[in-house]
Amino acid sequence: MKRTFGTFAVITILLGAVVLSEVRLGGITREDPLGRELLYLPSPEMLRIMSLGNPGLVADVLYLWSIQYYSFYRPHERFLYLETVYNLITDLDPLYVDAYRIGALIMQIQTGGDQNEIDAAVRRLFDKGLHNLPDDWQLAEAAAWDFYIRFKDRETALHYAEIATQRPGAPPRIKRMVGVWRDKESAWTLDDSIEYWRRALEDAENEWDSVLCMNQFYDAVTARDRKKLEPLLEAFITHYGICPASWEDLIQAGALRQVPLDAFGDPYGIGLEDCGLVAYKKFKNQ
Amino acid sequence: MRAVWAIAANTFREAVRDRVLYLFIGFAVVMVVSSKLFGMLTVGNETKIIKDIGLAAMQFFSMLIAVMMSMILISREVDSRTVFNILAKPVRRWQFILGKYLGLVLIVAANLVLITFVLMLTVLVAAGELDLMLLFAGAMTMLEMLVLAAFATLFAVLTRPILGSLMTLAVFVVGHMSADLWLLTRQLPGALTRAVIAVVYYLLPNLERFNFRTEVVHDLAIPGAAAGWAGLYAIAFVVVVLFLANLRFRGKDLK
Repeated sequence: MKRTFGTFAVITILLGAVVLSEVRLGGITREDPLGRELLYLPSPEMLRIMSLGNPGLVADVLYLWSIQYYSFYRPHERFLYLETVYNLITDLDPLYVDAYRIGALIMQIQTGGDQNEIDAAVRRLFDKGLHNLPDDWQLAEAAAWDFYIRFKDRETALHYAEIATQRPGAPPRIKRMVGVWRDKESAWTLDDSIEYWRRALEDAENEWDSVLCMNQFYDAVTARDRKKLEPLLEAFITHYGICPASWEDLIQAGALRQVPLDAFGDPYGIGLEDCGLVAYKKFKNQ
Repeated sequence: MRAVWAIAANTFREAVRDRVLYLFIGFAVVMVVSSKLFGMLTVGNETKIIKDIGLAAMQFFSMLIAVMMSMILISREVDSRTVFNILAKPVRRWQFILGKYLGLVLIVAANLVLITFVLMLTVLVAAGELDLMLLFAGAMTMLEMLVLAAFATLFAVLTRPILGSLMTLAVFVVGHMSADLWLLTRQLPGALTRAVIAVVYYLLPNLERFNFRTEVVHDLAIPGAAAGWAGLYAIAFVVVVLFLANLRFRGKDLK
């Protein structure tokens, strides 16, 4: 009994010594010549061989490590080897969607360094992902929004959004998004816009999509008609000194053959205050 | 065939009594279950991490069991002289080898079934998804282990236990690299060199032929022909290697 107690006491003391030394060791600050620098990154080919048939697992380990590693950095710092690390992960597992998405996100966090270079690196990572995942529309949409919001690069955003629309399973809202962005950027003609929204309307999968597409289609048709009709109204004012009371005045003056109709088939109005074209879509929706 | 099954069952029973086996199985189960913790560290798809870790654990621990069991597969019978009792009965040497091999296969299969079940359960709990493709991955790992167990049996007959285990381990490592040998044949100059390397490639098992883990993890389509040919490839290799083992054991002086 005495011996058992003695053994137990010794073990307890030794365990106490272990805990104490660990706590003390943790408290000692030491020189860290390596710092946060990455000294060696093996090639994906080497890692693939060394993984013995589990490159996906190695990609997971690197991905988890990278999330921890880059969390040491502050946004104003230059993140070291970021592109190399994410290229390594995505070479090991080319179908790793999260790695493309999060890699691009970490790259975008950096506010220091050459922003054009960061922009190019994000593009390269997304392009690689879109090449390796030809059926994935989510990544293309994510790329589009990243460039739209973070880089304010609407041309590139539009490029990725267009890729997203071409991918199988892409929801109709992406088509709408492309249409809206194109309209905002005036990246196409009004006739292109009308045709685009007409097709989007045909492809609409539910009533909600249909209503949204119809709204965009209506706006595009109205914009085209406004461009055509408002010069006629201005010419009438110049000639007669007053705003026409109705389209009949223009027909009688020989400027129009018939009352112009909107995309719903209803006649446009003439604004009393500005003498401009009035579309009644809003009234109709209400 | 009764003799073969009796030896296989006995080998299985003997292994089941071995505590080291439980240690490996315990480690494997803990690794699969703890993959949920690793999954929690990720940003994005947690299930991918669970499946990757689980499938790797399935392969790694099955390999370890095959390697470890090869150490005791035949040497224990020879050292304890029980082999003479067995062979004194109407049991032929090829039946002994086949029985030992099937016993080893049973042990590995039991381990694989358990790990696959635990992995499926972990995925079900973590993602609410019953992924039946994990069964397929388990079956393909079993094919890989059939080949490895055949080599373990051959090395158990050929050499001493520790060396045999190391050689089995070497076959596992080389088996996953042999595809690179094939790539080498495309790049090296000289038809003779290329031919020699091609022969070496065909003599070694290409264990990557049984690797469908990427397809299973990413829910990709698996060509039926690939799985079918992999099965044939495994069986052919097993038959050849066991035939060589039998050839060696037939002429072996056990005294």
